[in-house]
Amino acid sequence: MKHNFRYEVWCLLRRNISLGQLLGYALANVIGLSVILIGIIFFGDSQHSNSDDDNFFSEDYVVLSKKVDGIGFRPVAFSEDDIERLARQPWVQKVGRFTASRFAVNGSVSMGGRGLSTYLFFESVPDDFFDVTPREWSFNPEEKFIPVILSKDYLTLYNFGFAIPQGLPQISEEVIGAVPIVMRITGADNRTDVYDAAVVGFSSRLNTIAVPQDFMDWANARYNPGERRDASRLIVKIDRMAASGMDSYLKDEGIEIAGDKESAGNISEFLRVVSGVVASNGVVISLLALFILTLSIFLLLQKNKETIRKLMLQGFSPGEISRYYDAMVLIANTVITIMATTIAVCCRALWDGQLHAIGLGGASVLPMLWSAVAYLVLVTWFNMYVIRRQLAGIWKGA
Amino acid sequence: METITINNLLPMVFAGMEDTDKICSSQIWGEQSFVFRRGCRMCIHAESGCGKSSLVNFIYGSRRDYKGEILFDGKDIRSFGIERWCDIRTRSISFLPQDMGLFPELTVMQNIELKNNRTGHKSRSQIMTMLERVGIAEKRDALVGKLSIGQMQRVALIRAVCQPFDFIFLDEPVSHLDANNNRVVAGIISEEADSQGAGMIATSVGNHLLLDNAQFISL
Repeated sequence: MKHNFRYEVWCLLRRNISLGQLLGYALANVIGLSVILIGIIFFGDSQHSNSDDDNFFSEDYVVLSKKVDGIGFRPVAFSEDDIERLARQPWVQKVGRFTASRFAVNGSVSMGGRGLSTYLFFESVPDDFFDVTPREWSFNPEEKFIPVILSKDYLTLYNFGFAIPQGLPQISEEVIGAVPIVMRITGADNRTDVYDAAVVGFSSRLNTIAVPQDFMDWANARYNPGERRDASRLIVKIDRMAASGMDSYLKDEGIEIAGDKESAGNISEFLRVVSGVVASNGVVISLLALFILTLSIFLLLQKNKETIRKLMLQGFSPGEISRYYDAMVLIANTVITIMATTIAVCCRALWDGQLHAIGLGGASVLPMLWSAVAYLVLVTWFNMYVIRRQLAGIWKGA
Repeated sequence: METITINNLLPMVFAGMEDTDKICSSQIWGEQSFVFRRGCRMCIHAESGCGKSSLVNFIYGSRRDYKGEILFDGKDIRSFGIERWCDIRTRSISFLPQDMGLFPELTVMQNIELKNNRTGHKSRSQIMTMLERVGIAEKRDALVGKLSIGQMQRVALIRAVCQPFDFIFLDEPVSHLDANNNRVVAGIISEEADSQGAGMIATSVGNHLLLDNAQFISL
């Protein structure tokens, strides 16, 4: 038995197809599906960093400390449990501890015959947390030379906050680096040693006077071997794209974050919510469109009921008849999906530039394409299911 | 298919009327067993409202509002699924309903080809020959909706023989045909049924199909 598409059968079944209803469904569905796909592609872009560099949304470092209340003589510090729990957070990539000096430091410089001396402190973090890696960044106890990295903020503060009002000269990083410094270190047992030192680099990331970890471990063991302190500050490498839970975690744990680093995570979260809202609207519009088509199918099959009954009396099965309507909804839904996908891809150009400027965008279009295909399959399946149900109902009366 | 057996068949609408003259005088309704055999020729006649159309529709599976049972080669047709029925309607039983079941929006030829293209039973020239024999060859491209009832009956009869069958049921097939056309269509149907060894069962209210050697059954 042949089951090919027959022109004369299609002539019968296409009667009563309302072009207006079909176009109404198509238009509503193109709009609905476009909105869904725009939401998906925007979500992808807003969660996708387009650069490996240290920019607004890519991986980033934050310095954390515990909140100090009132006046505390007991140092507020992170316990091992605190650090372990923190390291398990999804947005944490790497945790580094600040090691504070357990000895007294006095630094002095000699400028034009005049000496300048002040008490200082040192801190160190593991080398891979630095944003600068100077050539001299190492310590050898025999050479008695301590390389120092200063916060860039200190120099900026001096040049623009202190030097200008005081009528002092502004100085560059190179000039500072050329100044020899003498460090006098006094240990817990009042033992004192003198070291040469120099500023070998400036860090934008670390707001401290940093020395190599090698030196710090050696010096703490040498000048104050008995005392051991928990880390009072931590430097954490974070994944901004996964940082939506960071703020609430830090708040709950009473941890403070240095600077204004929360904003990127908040914007990322905001964009995520926006794309969710957009996609939800698309789903509502598409559901309404689907409702229109389902009603149209009911109406069409009811209008063609007598014709379908006569075909069934001639031996046509519901499956054979449904093929003609299946082809119609498949073609309509395919055209709708192609149009909506094209619209979504074109709309991407509207935000691509802006997102790129803040380090986002450039996400793969594959999730959107898969969603479009899934939509096509699901909606067409649902349409076919409705058609078969209706035809089965007509069969019972034929 | 060799036999169609009907046991204690009664339309639902006649339920409770088993003891009335209408049912008692019937050779089919309420009978313990009545058999249509392949190759039979029967004319079932009755007045209007006695259930002629109901009977053929019950057998064709297009109505199920009856008591009793109908068996095709011993199998109860109530157990048949959609695919089985479609197969039966395409290969085993041909049926010409009283309303003819034609599509007025299609031409004469399209109506016939709608079935013949599925079965591939007749060639185009055979169809044309039959149209010529019943005198409507020149109407082949006319819309069926524009034909007279008599012309429609001839189109429906030709379409009914465009398939293989073991039984052909014709519900008042010549009610709008004159004696001459009656004889012509009876000849076409008889030839086709004979060539297939099939049974022919026609109903009528008086103007019955002019079949030779037909057995008359009173419903």
